[in-house]
Amino acid sequence: MAVKLSRRRITHYVADNLATGTDVHNTLMQLAGYLVDTRRTKELDVIVRDIEYALAERGLVSARVVTAFKLSYVTRQAIEDVINSRKKSHDIQLQHVVDPAVLGGLRLDIPGFRLDTTLAHTLSTLRTNYKK
Amino acid sequence: MAELSVAELSKDLRAAITRLEHTEGLESVGVVTRVGDGVAWIHGLRDAGYSEVLQIEAPSGIVEAFALNLMEDEIGAVLLGTDAEVSAGNTVRLKGTALVVPVGPELLGRVVDPLGRPLDGAGPIKTKAVGLVEREAIGVMGRKSVHEPLMTGIMAIDAMFPIGRGQRELIIGDRQTGKTALAIDTMINQAKQKTGVVNVYVAIGQKLSKVARLVDRLKAEGVMDQTIIVATSPADPASLLYLAPYAGTAMGEYFRDNKQHALMIYDDLTKHAVAYRQMSLLLRRPPGREAYPGDVFYLHSRLLERSAKLSDALGAGSLTALPIIETQAGDISAYIPTNVISITDGQIFLETDLFYQGIRPAISAGLSVSRVGGAAQTKAVKSVSGNLKLGLSQFRELASFAQFGSDLDESTKSQIERGQRLTELLKQPQYRPASIWEQVASMYAVTNGLFDRVNPSHIKDAQAALLARLSADHTDVVKALETGDKPTDAVLKTIGTAATHVAKGFEGK
Repeated sequence: MAVKLSRRRITHYVADNLATGTDVHNTLMQLAGYLVDTRRTKELDVIVRDIEYALAERGLVSARVVTAFKLSYVTRQAIEDVINSRKKSHDIQLQHVVDPAVLGGLRLDIPGFRLDTTLAHTLSTLRTNYKK
Repeated sequence: MAELSVAELSKDLRAAITRLEHTEGLESVGVVTRVGDGVAWIHGLRDAGYSEVLQIEAPSGIVEAFALNLMEDEIGAVLLGTDAEVSAGNTVRLKGTALVVPVGPELLGRVVDPLGRPLDGAGPIKTKAVGLVEREAIGVMGRKSVHEPLMTGIMAIDAMFPIGRGQRELIIGDRQTGKTALAIDTMINQAKQKTGVVNVYVAIGQKLSKVARLVDRLKAEGVMDQTIIVATSPADPASLLYLAPYAGTAMGEYFRDNKQHALMIYDDLTKHAVAYRQMSLLLRRPPGREAYPGDVFYLHSRLLERSAKLSDALGAGSLTALPIIETQAGDISAYIPTNVISITDGQIFLETDLFYQGIRPAISAGLSVSRVGGAAQTKAVKSVSGNLKLGLSQFRELASFAQFGSDLDESTKSQIERGQRLTELLKQPQYRPASIWEQVASMYAVTNGLFDRVNPSHIKDAQAALLARLSADHTDVVKALETGDKPTDAVLKTIGTAATHVAKGFEGK
């Protein structure tokens, strides 16, 4: 039976290995094995988010942008510049998702932060205020 | 048509990018990891503050919560709405403010929930100001000792346990002993005596039918115009029950801080403590005595400390508190009752036995006390109430002994008879608070032996006759007594003469 480690220690171990590129596949297998062995697979989502935070602190930002239609190269570049100025990152992995449900505008998620200028969000806020 | 919409969307996107470049809209966010029983556990939001409002983006709209457990890598937040709308994975934002409620005179006459939302169907409430739900109590230098009376209109209280403006006086007793009735009578008296004191009644987990009855009664008595009711029902989430007294206090503080006087009634703090216990256990805080969390004393002390008489420099306003505590089988040594007894400046203890003997209000003379009210007692009442409390306590003790023996000496007999008359005098029907002159005249007649020949069963009739006589024939005396000043010998003589005449009419009955 493996020793129970705190989420923080696991996160830092994995983030350090990923940031330095030390045998990424092996690190992920270690993590998976550890979570199964200690029956902590339910914590997976939280640990992944913790790793994203830790990687962002190390300059590796995993960002996700959602828009109603495809982004041009220039727009993507503008978004990356903004993230860079905000997080002082040296490596940005921008994932782009097209979701017509957002109606218009964009939603940018970077670890711990969000910029939501979508019409869907504005409508949701209006609906809540109207209810009040 | 399709091209047009794409063009609009493109425009939106360009505008969004422009805003993005300023990065001011970048907000700190977290994610709901677990939710249930009115509590959401949130990952992220590392910069959240204690008691800060969080906004959870649920599919049906935004649900608010407030952060109560700030842990190393998780936040425990109590939802202000139903947890059915929130699910794991929902995004959470910081609202950037602590909890606030609308405050101001616009709330007078309204029934609201602890977030200031109207419950009376009388339209939206537009106030000019908001008040912090959790706020530090005023400091030492901002206070003044309690010195102005807050007349309840209940003779037993005004004579024996006077309450001053800014005082915290606990009303404690078993269920169905008339605790709420005392509070309501006090509210009614503020309107009848035109004291200008604003009432804030906080119903914590009270049946809504009871609140509706209360509103009807207050409207009928003409008190509602100077009353705010903060209502929560047993169907509300524990978070709202927990917030209710703090929100009500914020509304009362507005008047206190604006050179006015307000009266807070917390009905009741036992249910408040139970709601807090529920929240604390669900937040996995360690349980202590009776499963309450370790900070249950602080829960009530920080609430009641906000009641104060302000110094002249701060406008000399006041906030008086009448918290209510329900005991089980008269046990005032339970955890919450002892806590609140030690926090408050005195307590009015209501006894079940007295209530069922027909002595209503069923105030126990021996166990009740007012620690600071003496300095605030109206001089007129003080001059005639003298040793009323001692006499009544002695009478109840003697009466219990006297039932075992038949032969009693004359002094004991007279003490018992006087006690019986006093007991009858202090009986008072609900919704009939007595004004100062009524109290002074009635007490003077009994405590000076002017009604000694009246049978105790006819004391109330004799009292009514005396008051009718004074009101009809001696309006100058009534006016003099209403000022609250110590009555002159001439005034007392007039009362004495009228009482003697009235007593003669009841002799031999």
